Amino acid sequence: MPGLKTIIALSFVLAIGFLLVILSSALWKNYLPLLVVATYVIAPIPNWACGRYANPDDFVDSAGSVGLTDFGRFCTGFLVVMGIGASKFNPYITRVDRAHTAMIMSIIGGLLIYGTIISFSMFFQREEGF
Amino acid sequence: MSARLFRFPKPEWMNSQTARTAGVYLAGALFSLGFFFFIDASVFSHSSRNASEAHIKFVDWLPGICSALGMLVINSIDKSHLAQDSYSYSGEGNSWKARLVLFMGFALMAGGLAGSVTVLVLKYLVPEYPWPTLYLGVANVIANSLIMLSSIALWVSQSIEDEYTYNLAL
Repeated sequence: MPGLKTIIALSFVLAIGFLLVILSSALWKNYLPLLVVATYVIAPIPNWACGRYANPDDFVDSAGSVGLTDFGRFCTGFLVVMGIGASKFNPYITRVDRAHTAMIMSIIGGLLIYGTIISFSMFFQREEGF
Repeated sequence: MSARLFRFPKPEWMNSQTARTAGVYLAGALFSLGFFFFIDASVFSHSSRNASEAHIKFVDWLPGICSALGMLVINSIDKSHLAQDSYSYSGEGNSWKARLVLFMGFALMAGGLAGSVTVLVLKYLVPEYPWPTLYLGVANVIANSLIMLSSIALWVSQSIEDEYTYNLAL
């Protein structure tokens, strides 16, 4: 059972992630790295939506639901790598030097945020299921 | 003792279901990586860093489109239609249709990979461009190979599923 400590630690990690991303955009007055956060926030959505739509406990029509679940997972994997890939374009678009620092900061911050979302959903799914 | 061949036991978490899930995630990640290699090349082509007169045009997009279409076709097919022609659900046998569509998918994908190599050779290697411009062609080849790898990963992880349902039926 996830206790209070888990929640506090997760919220700290989330805050550090947001701090990194906001710093990476605000320090150089270039707000495009915020798109990375948007990508990581949408990333689990196809997985959840397809998993909820295609109920895996339903053994009657398993073929179609398996395909849907796979599609959701494929989209999630796509979006996670897209978060890293999109921040790579930052040095092309901006003229500022230190754009690579901003890129690395936004990648680390985005990964922290995504990890928080995933571990949060894992902890609380395990508690309610079975 | 046991009938196992190797000394190390198979880890508990590595059952077929987790391997399958990881394979599907990996396929999505590989596809995205390939896609972004190509997007990276086209962003570079139209940025101020590209000093040459070579640019990404529609010709460069064509192999990637073919590969992505081929991947879509290959992985949309229900694999259970491929092997069994002996008992058919729907009157006439469906497996030749599945094989025909599958062949078209594989042809599209192979055509995409071959087309990217063709673009690399004809557009960038023959005029003897130096390295940063050559990247436009190399990224195209990398992108198409990654899309092919992603399709392989998806195919393999979807065939794991059959084994799982077999175990479930027993």
